[in-house]
Amino acid sequence: MTVDHGSSASTVPTGRPWYRRLGGRLPTVLWLTVMWVVLWGDPSPGTAVAGFAVASVCYSAARLPHIPVRLGFRPQHALRLVLHVGYDMLLSSVRVAFHGLWRPKRTRGAIVAIPVRTDSDFLLAMFSGLVSLVTGTLVIELNRNQGVLYVHGLPVNGPDGPEELRAQVRRTEELLVLAFGTAEDLEVFRLRAGEEPAGAAGERGENG
Amino acid sequence: MTEVLDWIAIVLLLAGAALSFAAGVGLVRFPDLLSRMHTAAKPQIVGLALILAGIGLRLYPDPRVGVLALILLFQIFTVPVASHIAGRVAYRTGRVRSDLIAVDELQEQLDRD
Repeated sequence: MTVDHGSSASTVPTGRPWYRRLGGRLPTVLWLTVMWVVLWGDPSPGTAVAGFAVASVCYSAARLPHIPVRLGFRPQHALRLVLHVGYDMLLSSVRVAFHGLWRPKRTRGAIVAIPVRTDSDFLLAMFSGLVSLVTGTLVIELNRNQGVLYVHGLPVNGPDGPEELRAQVRRTEELLVLAFGTAEDLEVFRLRAGEEPAGAAGERGENG
Repeated sequence: MTEVLDWIAIVLLLAGAALSFAAGVGLVRFPDLLSRMHTAAKPQIVGLALILAGIGLRLYPDPRVGVLALILLFQIFTVPVASHIAGRVAYRTGRVRSDLIAVDELQEQLDRD
């Protein structure tokens, strides 16, 4: 896509030739077709053609805008991300389940500020989705302007609890940017990660 | 071979059921909304994933297995959004018990603003 995009990512270029406009929408239509075939549970060509027709009609009737997706994809990091998130989910599900059965009234949580190191809308949306998906972490607030995520964690034990929570969430972010960030996103990530220790650590010291 | 798969399916189903059960118990026993969101929304996802995997193993050659994958996919898309909104609204309307929160850096930031 050689489309210039605003940060809101909803600029719809009108001057493009028709085949480019169709081409950009093709993946969505194909995905809808795949869902249609899966829901019918019958992978015959007839179902696929009918699904493609229904998807095309629905898509053009809804007049959805085409949003250029600016993401990269690195399979080996994506695999690491899936493993990391899967492990977190399993482990913390068991942990939270245990706390629910055993002394739920004494379980403490914490709300931790986590400065994000990416500026891409897509990555931020995926990041907060992933964090909320994992048991034991829940995004309460996303400050887009300052780029800070407020995450409620459960259970948080002892004085190191908040730091562990922060480390876990930041690891998810790092893997996510590595897996799906464009070269630009990686650049931003390295910049922010580089300038961080002084500012963030100082502020954290005050709070503690 | 199918016997082994059946046993794996049984283990997955039981583990999923146990997690869902714990989620239900946690929902009743945790004292405030934020803690409840953690159990309501999430061991449930892992529990569901395990149960779907178990059903998938039993159904396997049947093409309807795909539907199970779709169920999981859309749970994964929608549950975080729902729990984020519930948590945010709870926090913003003050329905959070501060005695249950050890550190609250969002409150500190709001105080500063």
